[in-house]
Amino acid sequence: MFKQKTLEEVKASARRSSGNSSAAFYNNPNVRAIFYQILLVFGLGYFFYSIISNVLANMEATGIKTGFSFLGASAGYDVLMTLISFESTDTYGKIFIVGFLNTLLVSAIGIFFATILGFIFGVAAFSHNLLIRKAALVYVEIFRNIPLLLQVFFWYFAVLSALPGARQSLSLGETIFLNVRGLYLPKMVGGDLFWLAEAALGVAIVGIFVLRRWAKKRQDETGQQFPVLNASIAMVIGLPLLALIVTGFPFEMEYPALKGFNYFGGITVIPELMALAIALSVYTGAFIAEAVRAGVQAIPHGQTEAARSIGLKEKKIMQLIIVPQAMRVIVPLLNSEYQSLVKNSTLAAAIGYPDLFNVFVGTALNQTGQAIETIFMTIIVYFVVNMVISFLMNRFNNAVALVSR
Amino acid sequence: MKDFQPIADRPAPVQTVGPVAWIRENLFSSIGNSIVTLGIIAFLVYYIPPILDWAFFSANWSGTTEDACVKDGACWVFINAWSYQFFYGTYPLEEVWRINLMIVLLLIVIAMSFTLPKHYRMKASIAAWLALPLIGMAVLYGGWGGLEVVSTDLWGGFTLNVFMAAASIIVAFPFSFLWALGRRSQMPFIRSVSVIFIEFFRGVPVLSLFFMGSVMLPLFFAEGTNVDKLIRVWLVLIFFMSGYMAEVFRGGFAAVPSGQYEAADSVGLSYWQKILLIILPQVIKISMPNILATFVMLFKNTTFLLIIGIPEVVQTLQTALSNSYWLGGHALEGYLFVFLVFWASCFGMSVLSRRIERTMNTDKRD
Repeated sequence: MFKQKTLEEVKASARRSSGNSSAAFYNNPNVRAIFYQILLVFGLGYFFYSIISNVLANMEATGIKTGFSFLGASAGYDVLMTLISFESTDTYGKIFIVGFLNTLLVSAIGIFFATILGFIFGVAAFSHNLLIRKAALVYVEIFRNIPLLLQVFFWYFAVLSALPGARQSLSLGETIFLNVRGLYLPKMVGGDLFWLAEAALGVAIVGIFVLRRWAKKRQDETGQQFPVLNASIAMVIGLPLLALIVTGFPFEMEYPALKGFNYFGGITVIPELMALAIALSVYTGAFIAEAVRAGVQAIPHGQTEAARSIGLKEKKIMQLIIVPQAMRVIVPLLNSEYQSLVKNSTLAAAIGYPDLFNVFVGTALNQTGQAIETIFMTIIVYFVVNMVISFLMNRFNNAVALVSR
Repeated sequence: MKDFQPIADRPAPVQTVGPVAWIRENLFSSIGNSIVTLGIIAFLVYYIPPILDWAFFSANWSGTTEDACVKDGACWVFINAWSYQFFYGTYPLEEVWRINLMIVLLLIVIAMSFTLPKHYRMKASIAAWLALPLIGMAVLYGGWGGLEVVSTDLWGGFTLNVFMAAASIIVAFPFSFLWALGRRSQMPFIRSVSVIFIEFFRGVPVLSLFFMGSVMLPLFFAEGTNVDKLIRVWLVLIFFMSGYMAEVFRGGFAAVPSGQYEAADSVGLSYWQKILLIILPQVIKISMPNILATFVMLFKNTTFLLIIGIPEVVQTLQTALSNSYWLGGHALEGYLFVFLVFWASCFGMSVLSRRIERTMNTDKRD
């Protein structure tokens, strides 16, 4: 590729280029850049033109309607589980919302438990106890390396369908029941003045933010610390409790009860939701545990030793030295794990949990045949949800990021 | 004057080496730890023997039909009877040598990329890798040189998972490399097109991509063209993979020290000489662990093909479980078997990736 040049040739070429300051215009990088980009514009333009014209021709040939008018049409099918009231005569637009809420529900449950599992097993990798360390390793290596679909099937077909029937339900203190048809939880039904307790909870949550800001300011000024965590927990539990005591407990518990062949009343968690939520939490939890382990491992041991040498207690070392630094590594990884959990929740289609993907790309697409509209509407929802997650996690990341001075 | 009273001798230091000290340190360092240790040991002692008994000692190993399963334990006969379908799907028995041939070729190419003499290893192995999917399509589908045509409807089983994953990542390789370059480019339009492409395919659920491949893509082709479903899904997987791999390569490009780019510029290499001769070899070396991790993700995601009705291994298992001659409830055996196959492959690859990371780490020569 590279021919050895004699000294004369090198000199000659140097003379040529220095004598002739304006090289050929097609060797100018700017001209080339414009040329290539114009080429790309035309290439993409032709690509999209041919796709769109093909789509229109194909749709005309098969008689598929276009546009979003189907959203107003009556769907004519029922949905297994809905968070808002829904009847089979309602529209596709409402089905979209029902599915979206179900997706949000399973994602939120999954993210919550995956984070807990991930942090427990991630920290357990540093336990003093050999068996706990090994248990954490086994958990991560098993559940990370088995496809999520198989895990969903395992929980749904092998574990949850092996539960006893309604009459032999497993029960916890006659309030929580678990059988092959689902998990039955008691429900709180509020009375007249119940809104006071809800309002008190709201006040407590706002109060936590105010308290945190005040405590940080006081620590910056005086160096005194304030037990923010304990005070927050006391507020969240205490204020609503106080409101309940003052108003004389204006609520009653609705317990699930066996009537005929099944339990009624209370909150019913269908097995599809349970299987999907368990599988998502366990699978993503394994990845989060890896992230947490990596985060803690990234901190030099000198940090711990330095903290010990200035006399911090072990608990304070974790809280003030290790965790804040580990979070810098963990939070970006958490962000992508949460996003992939939301995307993976589409596996609901495999077991029939009515999430957005299942009710919309699954059933609505089949009934209307409008593939492009349904798929793109669904994709956009996942994009938006992931953007919201990304936005929140980036805010959180900025809070824990290293402030360089 | 009082008598001199020496202080009592201090006890000898606790032994810090040897098995006793090791056990004390790792298992019984505190009361809490001791309780946990005993708890875990009790749990293992309670549960391991029945599991071993079920899986090995009272399991049924030989036979060809369900009637052979007489003992209480696992019915491995089920796996035995269906093993052909689990691995090869419904591919005709007399043609199965073609699948085996492709597996052998795949292994040869993998071995080649590590063992060929260094001065032409890169060129030869890249050429071999890129040729492999085409050869695979030709051999598996047939229809030339006396080979019978085997319709893609008959392809299936675990080998389909392997081939789909391998064929997608290989073809995605050059594309993802271009997308990564595009994302680093100075040209604003090329850069924004690359960013949109990469973020689109990374941002959507892979299942919706499969649906695109199976129901939306046919609308994109000109009227009358009938592209095989498997090929459509393959196309979608290639796009999906090139989005992910582009991000892997982007990390690799960023990790090459800028001195390398500047040195290449200063010896007068052109853009493509610089990228192909200087930067790319270093990028591949740096990104190797991430490439393998991405491949593992893709490989696990090939099970999602079941949802659009492609008979990969999990779909084959479901078919086997609902077969009317095997209704004895062998779900546990079946899932365990597929678990083990996937776990062994994925875990093997992650071990391999760690080893490659170590051997390829030539930066620190001390």
